[in-house]
Amino acid sequence: MHIEREFRGEGPGGRQVLSYYVYEAPVRLWHWVNALAIVVLAVTGYFIGKPLPSMGGEASDHYVMGTIRFAHFAAAYVFVFGFIGRIYWAFVGNHHARQLFILPFWDKAWWGEVFFELRWYLFLEPKPKKYIGHNPLAQLSMFFAFTLGATFLIVTGLALYGEGAQAGHWTHTLFTSWVIPLFGQSQDVHTWHRLAMWAFVVFVMIHVYAAIREDIMSRQSLISTMVSGHRMFKD
Amino acid sequence: MAAQQTANGFSLDNSGKRVVVDPVCRIEGHLRVEVNVDDKNVIRNAVSTGTMWRGLEVILKGRDPRDAWAFTQRICGVCTGTHALTSVRSVENALGIQIPDNANSIRNIMQMALYVHDHLVHFYHLHALDWVDVVSALKADPKRTSELAQSISDWPMSSPGYFRDLQNRLKKFVESGQLGPFSNGYWGSPAYKLPPEANLMAVAHYLEALDFQKEIVKIHAIYGGKNPHPNWIVGGMPCAININDVGGVGAINMERLNLVSSIIDRTIEFVEKVYVPDLLAIASFYKGWLHGGGLSSQSVLSYGDVPDIANDYSAKSLLLPRGAIINGDLTKVHEVDLVDPAQIQEFVSHSWYKYADESKGLHPFDGVTEPNFVLGKNAKGTKTNIENLDEGGKYSWLKAPRWRGHAMEVGPLARYIIGYVQKNPEFKDPVDMVLKKLDVPLTALFSTLGRTAARGLECQWAAEKMRYFQDRLIANLKAGDSTTANVEKWDPSTWPQASKGVGFTEAPRGALGHWIQIKDGKIDNYQCIVPTTWNGSPRDPAGNIGAFEASLLGTPLAKADQPLEILRTLHSFDPCLACSTH
Amino acid sequence: MTETFYDVLRRQGISRRSFMKFCSLTATSLGLAPAFAPKIAHALENKPRTPVIWLHGLECTCCSESFIRSAHPLAKDVVLSMLSLDYDDTLMAAAGHQAEAILDEIKKKYKGNYILAVEGNPPLNEDGMFCFQGGKPFVEKLKYMAADCKAIIAWGSCASWGCVQAAKPNPTRATPVHKVITDKPVIKVPGCPPIAEVMTGVVTYMLTFERLPELDRQGRPKMFYGQRIHDKCYRRPHFDAGQFVEGWDDEAARRGYCLYKMGCKGPTTYNACSTTRWNGGVSFPIQSGHGCIGCSEDGFWDKGSFYDRITDIKQFGIESNADKVGMAVAGGVGAAIAAHAAVTALSRAKVKQGNASQEQKQGE
Ligand code: HEM
Ligand code: HEM
Ligand code: NFV
Ligand code: SF4
Ligand code: SF4
Ligand code: F3S
Ligand SMILES: [Mg+2]
Repeated sequence: MHIEREFRGEGPGGRQVLSYYVYEAPVRLWHWVNALAIVVLAVTGYFIGKPLPSMGGEASDHYVMGTIRFAHFAAAYVFVFGFIGRIYWAFVGNHHARQLFILPFWDKAWWGEVFFELRWYLFLEPKPKKYIGHNPLAQLSMFFAFTLGATFLIVTGLALYGEGAQAGHWTHTLFTSWVIPLFGQSQDVHTWHRLAMWAFVVFVMIHVYAAIREDIMSRQSLISTMVSGHRMFKD
Repeated sequence: MAAQQTANGFSLDNSGKRVVVDPVCRIEGHLRVEVNVDDKNVIRNAVSTGTMWRGLEVILKGRDPRDAWAFTQRICGVCTGTHALTSVRSVENALGIQIPDNANSIRNIMQMALYVHDHLVHFYHLHALDWVDVVSALKADPKRTSELAQSISDWPMSSPGYFRDLQNRLKKFVESGQLGPFSNGYWGSPAYKLPPEANLMAVAHYLEALDFQKEIVKIHAIYGGKNPHPNWIVGGMPCAININDVGGVGAINMERLNLVSSIIDRTIEFVEKVYVPDLLAIASFYKGWLHGGGLSSQSVLSYGDVPDIANDYSAKSLLLPRGAIINGDLTKVHEVDLVDPAQIQEFVSHSWYKYADESKGLHPFDGVTEPNFVLGKNAKGTKTNIENLDEGGKYSWLKAPRWRGHAMEVGPLARYIIGYVQKNPEFKDPVDMVLKKLDVPLTALFSTLGRTAARGLECQWAAEKMRYFQDRLIANLKAGDSTTANVEKWDPSTWPQASKGVGFTEAPRGALGHWIQIKDGKIDNYQCIVPTTWNGSPRDPAGNIGAFEASLLGTPLAKADQPLEILRTLHSFDPCLACSTH
Repeated sequence: MTETFYDVLRRQGISRRSFMKFCSLTATSLGLAPAFAPKIAHALENKPRTPVIWLHGLECTCCSESFIRSAHPLAKDVVLSMLSLDYDDTLMAAAGHQAEAILDEIKKKYKGNYILAVEGNPPLNEDGMFCFQGGKPFVEKLKYMAADCKAIIAWGSCASWGCVQAAKPNPTRATPVHKVITDKPVIKVPGCPPIAEVMTGVVTYMLTFERLPELDRQGRPKMFYGQRIHDKCYRRPHFDAGQFVEGWDDEAARRGYCLYKMGCKGPTTYNACSTTRWNGGVSFPIQSGHGCIGCSEDGFWDKGSFYDRITDIKQFGIESNADKVGMAVAGGVGAAIAAHAAVTALSRAKVKQGNASQEQKQGE
């Protein structure tokens, strides 16, 4: 495993602390911007399908749906271009930057580790293993829930966007034109886009829980890693 | 088999030459008839077959009852709206929903707009060519045509120049050699009796009516958003009314009401000055042709419709007559109950469906729709290339509905006969007027022409009822009530776990009922018995023949290979096969 | 009543001069001397009207009914002057074998030159006998007449997608035209029914410009099906403002607010209703207070209730939609997380205790 930088020091209680530089600045920046964008997307998306109670008065006095949809689209652009940027970083960044996109699918040992992690979460293993990057189970769920999920949301989202942007707009040419026929009709694309939002919500719940838990349980830094970039091992 | 007597008193003889008419054109949907003619070309046996089935009753299972109107409306685009209305009534009946008076008025206006439209289009575009020889119109003298037209009506489009222009266009059309829809017609047949002038006048009105019919349905567009297939909702009507406040332009407002009003006025005028005079003029040349009575002198049925009092579907509230006449006993009108299991039943012994016990009928609440396409053992040809059907076996996609075991005729004539014997002046007076004008006895009513005449009179009645309900709507608005929907039970969570209901209308072609069972907010069973299912029904286990078959018996054909007389009589029912099989 | 092709062009606003110009251009493009132009003109002026064979399968005839409502051009002018409606069982004078004879005649005489208009669709179950005509399955008639036609117009949602008879469980296996006829151009004009003027618009386009209209990927003319109802709905300002009808006949309904919350499918439906409108421009569904039910879309019958905005997902059973599935899963996962956290805390406490006693022992 290629380690960018190594750092030794004293931890509390006089124990040795190992620290590795895992997440480079662009990844960290992307992570938090991305997380924020997704929160905005999920909240606004929810209200696009189930709007807030109506406003009275003149239509020209309000722009509630317009604003919600605008926020969705603005966050969507951040999300889409952030994702593209993240893909770019997978090429130029360090080893960990690629974990989101490639699974060592044919690596038996890796699968063994996946099952080990699974047992750990099921309280069947007494002690966690330590990983410098993602643990294999995390990587697996990141790949399926996040990478594929994000791709699906982006493709369907841009297809829906192209419907409003009209024929001629790049989103229409690149996405709407084939995504709608693929699903059969626009209504189905809405339905699946919305379902994918829920899949994302579930992913985020598990992800955040796991991050906090591991931070406490596995005696290695996680949350701060996503802030500072350094992974600290506490013993 | 040679000669045979049916339970309902008709004699059948299928020993003569078998003539097949398939497709029967100028109707809705797909109908086939086979008849046997004797050596004088008189029809001695008739077999009527619905040749399509879509399975809507099967498709409706498990769906939201509030959506059912949209599905059932697609049973037919010709009598568009009547199934939707019947459907929302069935759901309202099941759930005990009361609709506002305005919704009742609007629904009645829409139903009457359908009547006028459907009857008018039927007369001119589906039926007229059975009586009118288009080619003979070329020989007419435009000046005498004008005189004829002016003698029967003060409709303005009747100058000699008007008819001359029209005749010239017609000439050019015929000379082009491309006769379009008039190709291979039975022109010149001795069965056509109109003089050339009457033919020319009728052709002119064929075209005028084609232009005018699209105006009538604008009423559906205003209240229902479009036609064919306007929108309805369970609990009332979706078109909110706003005649006072801000935003009224986004609802039914004064301008919309005026538009409806003006269409109603023009419609009344067209029916009065074009349709009814044409009908009487044409009939006067065919008074001698009194075939096609069939079941009409024996057994007729009407559920009644057009509630004057919102939510009251009893006979006293219904402006169209309700009741049943059987065995030709015109002194007694029986009460009809749609939920009594002993009254309405459907049989499938001769239909392409399967029951556990096909010797018995099923009330629609217990109805079953399971297709079973098998040909009788005496059928000729193959499964996918039928030459002759075997009426001894299964032979139609229509079920056979019966009222207390009787095959019944339904439709305008049935309604008028019942209204007549109930001595309701709205129906009796116009009939007496026509009989007197044509100088024919009451029995002339029981015929192909009687059916066609009743439809014309009913069209006029319906046009006037639109005015009545539009005035009622305005009066109610004036009194401060602009409610159009009752949403108390809109949410399925307010419904009982299980319920059942029946909705009915008199569709243009006759008695229409939808029976619904709702369980856990979903449709558990949905059964429709449709006017043309009654009229076009195949035989039942007791051997009763339906109205189409009965009406063809005894009719002489001018030419055995030209089904003009068969078309005439079948068309007088205005068959709708998509409806009948659904 | 009988107009030539030239008359039709004139009616469409094309002048004598541009007609003659069109003829000389045609002459040059065919490599003919300019002297041929008048001959071409003569031929066009006297050209026979294009024959149309209009077949009916499983359907409700609403498409025919809609067609005759056309105001511009008038249905009578289309049928009698612009084309030659040689076969249409709903309108034609003849019946039985006299009617069927016309099919063979047109098929031979106008091989490759007639338009086949199809209303409704063929059922394929029961060897096609859920719809038969002349004793034979409709699908045979359709294939027979399609073989020699120039192009097919698939009228309405029946012919285009399957429509109501193809709604689940589609007991007759009603099948849209393009799935049965694969070797001819099929122009889909969906809608239940389509708008009259859209129908006649498509036909007159073909006659006037002598070519098929430009189609989108799903085979619909772009000019009428390129945008959603929602894109040009006059209630759109209320949508953007967040002003919705919340229940039938409420204050918002009386002011004509947006019908989105009542299940309006305008945002997902491609059709011309909000612009062309219906019945001579008098109204369209939304204008009369009911949401769009998406009647021109593929499979619109099977998306759950017409009154739901978040529609059903059949794959998860009739009763589920994205929110129900999503909330159930999120709820389940939330509970699982809580349980997991509790167990974690518990075992951690145990481990700590263990550690503590060990340390104690060591201390001893
Ligand atoms: C919408 C919300 C979020 C999304 C979609 C999201 C997504 C992701 C993704 C895709 C990664 C992998 C990064 C990479 O490999 O490049 C990641 C890592 C991480 N995220 Fe999030 N995240 C979200 C919110 C959060 C929050 C709120 C926290 C903190 C409580 C958090 C903590 C972490 C940590 C600690 C890692 C590193 C895990 C490791 O080192 O294996 N995330 N997140
Ligand atoms: C994490 C990512 C995303 C989430 C969670 C999300 C969520 C949602 C949700 C729940 C809806 C409502 C669906 C409905 O009920 O009809 C929606 C609608 C929509 N989303 Fe997204 N979305 C995401 C990404 C995107 C992206 C990348 C785009 C691309 C531009 C996009 C564009 C749209 C559009 C155009 C609509 C339809 C708006 C309308 O119908 O007015 N979304 N989204
Ligand atoms: N039969 C029938 Fe209908 C009618 N009228 C409906 O119920 O035509 Ni299509
Ligand atoms: S498209 Fe819909 S409305 Fe038209 S024929 Fe088919 S079912 Fe009827
Ligand atoms: S009424 Fe329907 S089509 Fe019109 S703006 Fe609202 S959602 Fe869109
Ligand atoms: S329901 Fe159909 S008629 Fe138009 S507005 Fe919607 S596409
Ligand atoms: Mg039935």
